[in-house]
Amino acid sequence: MRKLLFAFVATLFSFSAMAGGHAEWWKNAGAPYAGTTLQGIAENTPPGQFAGDVLAKEFEALTGIKVRLENTSWDQMYDKAIKDMEANSGIYDFVYIEQDIVYDYLNRDFLVNITEGLASNPDLQAPGVSLDDFTTFIDYFKDGSGDVFGVPMEAFIKVYLYRKDLFGRADAKAQFRAQYGYGLTPATSFDQWRDNAEFFTHFCAEQGMECWGTTVQGHTGHPASTYEFLESIAPSFGLYNWGVNMDSYQSCVENGGQLNGGRAKAALNFWTQLLPFAPPEALQSTWSEVGSSFAAGRAAQGWVYGENAAWIATDAEKSAVVGKVGVMLPPTAPGVMTQAASGNGYIGYFDGGAYGIPHSSKNIEATMLWLQFVAMNDHQADWAIAGGRITHKDTYADPKVMAVDEQADGYFSLMRDTGFLYAGAPPFPFHGAGRGAIDPFIYSALAGEMTPEEALDGACQALDQVMADLGYQD
Amino acid sequence: MFSNNKKGWLLLSPTIFILIIVGLVPFFYVLYVGFFKWNPLAVDPSMQFEGFGFNYRRLIFDGVFLESIWRSIKFSVVTLTLELSLGFLLALSLLSSFPLKKFFRGVHTLPLVIAPIVVGSIFKLFTVQGLGPLPHLLKDYFGYTLNYGMNAEQAFWMIVIMDIWHWTPFVTLTLLAGLSALPQDPYESAKIDGANNFQIFLYITIPMMVPVLIVVIFIRLMDSLKIVDEVWMLTGGGPGYATRFTGIHIWKEVFEKRYYGLGSAMSILYLYITIVICWILYSVMVSRGKSED
Amino acid sequence: MLFAGFYTALWFQGGKVKTRNLFTKFGTTFLWSILTIITLFPIYWMILVSTRTPVELFGKPDLSPTFLEKVHWKNFTKPFLDGVYSDYLFNSIIVATSNAALVTVLALMATYALSRFKLAGSESIFFWTMTNRMAPPAAFLLPLFLLFSTVFKFGDFTLFDTKIGLILLYCVFNLPFAIWLLKGIIDGIPKELDEAMVVDGANLFTIFRKLIIPLAAPGIAVTSLLSFLFAWNEYLLASTLTSVYARTIPTGLSEFVTTTGTNWGTMAAVALVSMIPALLFLFAVQKHIVAGLTFGAVKG
Repeated sequence: MRKLLFAFVATLFSFSAMAGGHAEWWKNAGAPYAGTTLQGIAENTPPGQFAGDVLAKEFEALTGIKVRLENTSWDQMYDKAIKDMEANSGIYDFVYIEQDIVYDYLNRDFLVNITEGLASNPDLQAPGVSLDDFTTFIDYFKDGSGDVFGVPMEAFIKVYLYRKDLFGRADAKAQFRAQYGYGLTPATSFDQWRDNAEFFTHFCAEQGMECWGTTVQGHTGHPASTYEFLESIAPSFGLYNWGVNMDSYQSCVENGGQLNGGRAKAALNFWTQLLPFAPPEALQSTWSEVGSSFAAGRAAQGWVYGENAAWIATDAEKSAVVGKVGVMLPPTAPGVMTQAASGNGYIGYFDGGAYGIPHSSKNIEATMLWLQFVAMNDHQADWAIAGGRITHKDTYADPKVMAVDEQADGYFSLMRDTGFLYAGAPPFPFHGAGRGAIDPFIYSALAGEMTPEEALDGACQALDQVMADLGYQD
Repeated sequence: MFSNNKKGWLLLSPTIFILIIVGLVPFFYVLYVGFFKWNPLAVDPSMQFEGFGFNYRRLIFDGVFLESIWRSIKFSVVTLTLELSLGFLLALSLLSSFPLKKFFRGVHTLPLVIAPIVVGSIFKLFTVQGLGPLPHLLKDYFGYTLNYGMNAEQAFWMIVIMDIWHWTPFVTLTLLAGLSALPQDPYESAKIDGANNFQIFLYITIPMMVPVLIVVIFIRLMDSLKIVDEVWMLTGGGPGYATRFTGIHIWKEVFEKRYYGLGSAMSILYLYITIVICWILYSVMVSRGKSED
Repeated sequence: MLFAGFYTALWFQGGKVKTRNLFTKFGTTFLWSILTIITLFPIYWMILVSTRTPVELFGKPDLSPTFLEKVHWKNFTKPFLDGVYSDYLFNSIIVATSNAALVTVLALMATYALSRFKLAGSESIFFWTMTNRMAPPAAFLLPLFLLFSTVFKFGDFTLFDTKIGLILLYCVFNLPFAIWLLKGIIDGIPKELDEAMVVDGANLFTIFRKLIIPLAAPGIAVTSLLSFLFAWNEYLLASTLTSVYARTIPTGLSEFVTTTGTNWGTMAAVALVSMIPALLFLFAVQKHIVAGLTFGAVKG
């Protein structure tokens, strides 16, 4: 929070500099729309808060256009944005597009073509702002012809977080070696992950500490767990695209899919067997609670979204483990790394989102200005520090960012160097319906109501049913 | 003047008009949509007519949907039984006088006015792992592990307990009102006839309480078949399908999976079942009221 | 179970019981004390959570009343001063007040018509209003959403995400309730009084003003207070049919289901604030709450 405030004050002082020296242009461009209020909706993430608290105020001071950004929960964000665009009600001028829903939105023609909009209206084209400055993450928001439909505002990778202090304890090291016959280190294989988890669960209990061996994002009533499995666990075992055969849209092995194949079952087995070594809240945890648990010092290691990795490592107001956090790539099954490096697979989810403009917006031109402002190079570094996200190539080299990189155990440089191993979600226009069909099976497997094998057999049938119902298998 | 029905209809018309707009029109609309195959995420996102029974035929074999109905009915019956028994005992106890009775009664009324979604929030804060005190207390003092994210049975019963916490006061206070209004004569003549206490309870108290009991059963059933808000807050319908009551199931089918046609058919069946159950009780209630007049 | 033991004895006596046995008396007090603790404990915990910082909530739950020494006011100021929750609160007040007023006026008119005029089919109309109250709102979510957003369209104006939409919609459960509650009360006013006034040349408006409203005043007050409460507490319809401009405070609570680092303190604070009108009304309507919640079928 202090950092956020500091960034805010700093930006106020360096006003015209922040506008890239083009303050006059922004003032003139905004003049026709001065007094308008742009309404937006996004998920309440640290980057979203920075956009709402800092960028919006700055933009208003510069152009006279007010931006009201509603940062809400993930569920509500989808619910409200989709309802608005489906009803064509024009409530929102810009919406958050999570990377995995973009194919749904494009397919239903919800979004304004930004490339085309700027090209046809050169007066709106802000000086010094170029969509080419973005990392390759922006490619996820392009259609077949390369036109951009969303301006990325956050991007991060899912990393393996571990507690340096716990892994570094001499008594823990000695005890681990005595028990398992090899040295205690952060996990580089799934077996080691399991051993670490088991070890620390017992170790913490013996030491009277409220901590467990690993986080598990295993909410049994919220899709966060399905996402965790499909986007993080399964790919690291070599199961890509939800196990769906991208030619026939079949997901069961019997029909040429993979969702109930060997790799999927190995992944789900590995994941569910971690549950005894996870804090008791694991089965009621979405990504938020996983972040909270780790920040509260209740887990020794775990898969944690990058957006949370930064504040867990640095924000003492919300985190009890500042300075004790280590960051690494999560382990992968043999062969997955090679497939990922050659582009035939991926090791996890390249997560993030963009702001896009619904067709129903009544202020499309003013919103174009706001999105370009968001895309400006000048405030990328502060934004990266406040929100743990990077969307521009140059941000990695910024000295301010590099300084924080050190505090966060090299999270940013890890993202820079290994980002290409990650990938966005598969291009399914039926994303929501498909996931909704899989959800109950993942919940049941986590709750122990079904074996992983039964759950995946059921899940692939349910997913096939949806793809058949919606006409994708025809 | 009262024979001039025009004035009567005039007074009634705004009510009828509004209820048609927000009650009848949506009913016919959902009936209409239920005859179509319609999902905006489909390759063909338009409404397609596939025969009147298309969605209904599918629903008859839809185990998940039928289970959700069965779950809702089971939940309603379980909570009703428990709330009635507990409420009856509490109402009886309130007939006697004891220290601080007024205060206790006042506190007991409190849950009644709290919104269901707030009750869900209160229980979430109270029971969620890693924050709420209940799992800790149960573990420390009884060695019992409460984790309804993991245990389907616990999740169901947690919702039942929440419902009891929320609505038993309604049963208590209503039955108390009924008990207080009972005439004393039958008791006196029964005592003269030499009936014992158990006989008096069975043959006098219970029959005289039947009208009030029916009102309570009717209102509680009507509302518990609808339950959504507090469950949504507490478990989100999980784990698995454990607390996916019909209302939640329909929400998920319609707003997550966007099965508009199928969801509408579900809505109609759900509506039908609820109304039938309520209607039976309602008719009993009304005919009883009539025969007494 | 404990209760069962105690009250089997009382049961058998039936009717009114005057206990002079001191043991039973204090036993009853003791059991009600336990019950009161069960009722209040979760609410007490919510108050504790609303006054603590996230870091203070880590670890074993601390049940001591720390708010006596220190309150983390940011849990309240952040949503209500910086956030959108003040707007939601305002919307809730507008929607619930307008709906209660509308419902009371309409129900008074309708009930009077049903009670005094011999209208063909009035019994069926009476029953039909009730089915609206029986119907589960979840079954109407989709049609209402589609109607509000695409079908009921007047130029650019739709009912989706408008306060007027919610005000009208809440009639679907509040009007039947109010008609039922008022029916018993108005039926109880002798018809002869109306007729006498008609003979004196009074019109309908005068009858309402001079006779019905004064005599039914307590009933009308209870009707409107409870209508307000039901409208205030409604969640499912509001969450489906609003986005920003008509969002009410209960829907705001569901926004805490997932937000970064789940802010329990703020959630507890918002829940607490949204309970305030309910608590105020508790004192106002306590005497009539039984009659109110049973639609007048049981007198409190």
